[in-house]
Amino acid sequence: MATVVAPVPGRSRWLVLMPYVVLALATLPILVLYVWLFYSSFFPRVEGFRPIGDLTFDNWRFLWDPASVPQMRNRPPVIPLTVNTLLFATLTSLISLLVSSMAGYAFSRLRFKGRRVFLGGVLLLHSFPSVTLLIALFVVLRTLGLYDKLVGVILVQTAFALPFGIWIMKGFFDNIPWDLEMSALVDGAGRLRTWWRIMLPLVKPGLLALGILLFVEGWNQFLLPFVFMPSGSQQTLSTLVRGILGEGRFVDYGLLTAVGLYYIAPVLVLFVLAQDQLMRIYAGGVKG
Amino acid sequence: MRVVLEQLTKKFGDVAAVRELDLEMRSGEFVALLGPSGCGKTTTLLMVAGIYRPTSGAILFGDRRVDHLHPKDRGIGMVFQSYALYPHMTVAENIGFPLELRRAIGKPERDQRVREAAGRVEIDDLLDRRPSQLSGGQQQRVALARALVKRPDILLLDEPLSNLDARLRHDMRGEIKRLQKEIGITSIFVTHDQLEALTMADRVAVMRNGRLQAYATPDELYARPRNRFVAEFIGTPPMNFFPAELGSRNGSVVARAEGIEVELTRAQLPRGEARQATMGVRPEHLSIVSPADGNVTGEVYVVEPMGREQIVDVQVGEWRLRVIAPPGFTGRIGDRVGLRVAAERLHFFDPTSGERLS
Repeated sequence: MATVVAPVPGRSRWLVLMPYVVLALATLPILVLYVWLFYSSFFPRVEGFRPIGDLTFDNWRFLWDPASVPQMRNRPPVIPLTVNTLLFATLTSLISLLVSSMAGYAFSRLRFKGRRVFLGGVLLLHSFPSVTLLIALFVVLRTLGLYDKLVGVILVQTAFALPFGIWIMKGFFDNIPWDLEMSALVDGAGRLRTWWRIMLPLVKPGLLALGILLFVEGWNQFLLPFVFMPSGSQQTLSTLVRGILGEGRFVDYGLLTAVGLYYIAPVLVLFVLAQDQLMRIYAGGVKG
Repeated sequence: MRVVLEQLTKKFGDVAAVRELDLEMRSGEFVALLGPSGCGKTTTLLMVAGIYRPTSGAILFGDRRVDHLHPKDRGIGMVFQSYALYPHMTVAENIGFPLELRRAIGKPERDQRVREAAGRVEIDDLLDRRPSQLSGGQQQRVALARALVKRPDILLLDEPLSNLDARLRHDMRGEIKRLQKEIGITSIFVTHDQLEALTMADRVAVMRNGRLQAYATPDELYARPRNRFVAEFIGTPPMNFFPAELGSRNGSVVARAEGIEVELTRAQLPRGEARQATMGVRPEHLSIVSPADGNVTGEVYVVEPMGREQIVDVQVGEWRLRVIAPPGFTGRIGDRVGLRVAAERLHFFDPTSGERLS
């Protein structure tokens, strides 16, 4: 995705470079943080930005020898937590994808009673901060027997993700010409098959982009697992990071950075791999 | 398969797109729905296809009433204006899609029929391509093959040629007509181009504002248009109109307009006691002669050479008449010329209702 900056005639090279310089300066603090996070996890101690001692993998012991890490002693092992997190992120994004691609299609193509009200309601829900609903959700989950269960949190997270997903998918479906759909109907397909065979393949870029965003959102989700799965065995990585940060008077920054890095690595990889797809969610549309 | 539309009406909210349309198509007939945009022709086609549900009225295929049936249960094939090829499928998959939906047809038979349909429209060598890799003409052929592959009883074509360039349009016009006759399939096509309708269709239904204006063979539409709208819509360059007075002289009826006085033949005699009429004459039924020989004289306003012929606008009084002149005509702007009217080719319409008078 290299962009060639053609020199604009009549303007100095400096003016062209200016935006890049400004952006680079603004990005620098974040970059520094990432670099710091990276190397602190490989040194026994870091003072300010200066690493102390020799390069070591000691901080990463939580992966292969959790018993020797005092902070990990009363916690579920890291691997099951990772699996939980993975399950949580994958299932929430898959269910949201399924529901929002069906709902988005219906909103885009079908004229039913209350369509406008629904659409408005979906938008309203999207702007609702999840914190305000915590207590109500607690009551609901308890009543349904889903409190302190992964399934319960998955459902809650999915519900929060849906408004955004539905709107995005509706936008993608809106861009598909009606002719294609009419053609499928005349060719002998029913509504469901048209959706599955013709419409879904055409919004694949949207599905991929939305799927990645939802996955990352699920992976990063802290509040819901923390509040609704307090008992431990079902927790996720984000609650582990929080636990290490909040435990005792002395925070082991080496361990914290190692766990943190372990936690964000999949997301970073995913972002790098899926950049092109993610760009499209804002560009939208079907490429013929 | 015979197709009958009975009192077919479609309303969108309060707006009636099609009003009480009665139309009958014989089995194997090629019928054009012709009209300016917004006349309801595409709406009619989509009702026949089953995509729109009629507000009232009936649609019959053969003796079977179909207006409650889903598109998939009607036995139709359709070609869309945009071709509506599925961009994520190859040509072969596109053509095979209608068969894929029929359990009774296995993979070998499907492949066989896809090849057969592709062969019919001469695109057998493109089967592995994607629609985006095809030219407009090739896409059109794929769309035709896809419409025909399930051997439908009725073929519907929505503005099938309007996305092609002029040359290709001419070729496809002939090819679609030939294909339709070869297969003998009842076909309905929608167009706003009167030339397409006249050249391709067995019968043409002219529509305006959701109403049927005329339904006749191309010859009849051209020779005896039922009203002024049809007269104006059919034929290029369009018919000339001007007001005329009807009177009698020596026992026969004459029409007078702008110094033209012509005696009417029996067939042209208006029904009833009309005194005023709108007289219409096609450019090809006027000829340029020397000023002394014509029924009327005028002044050349502009000359447009077209190769095979020239279109000459002649100012006669306050009216400007379009005339087709042979390529040899050498008149210049401002020349005085005479016009001879082919009296037996004049048309008369009621000035208010626009209905044909004779």
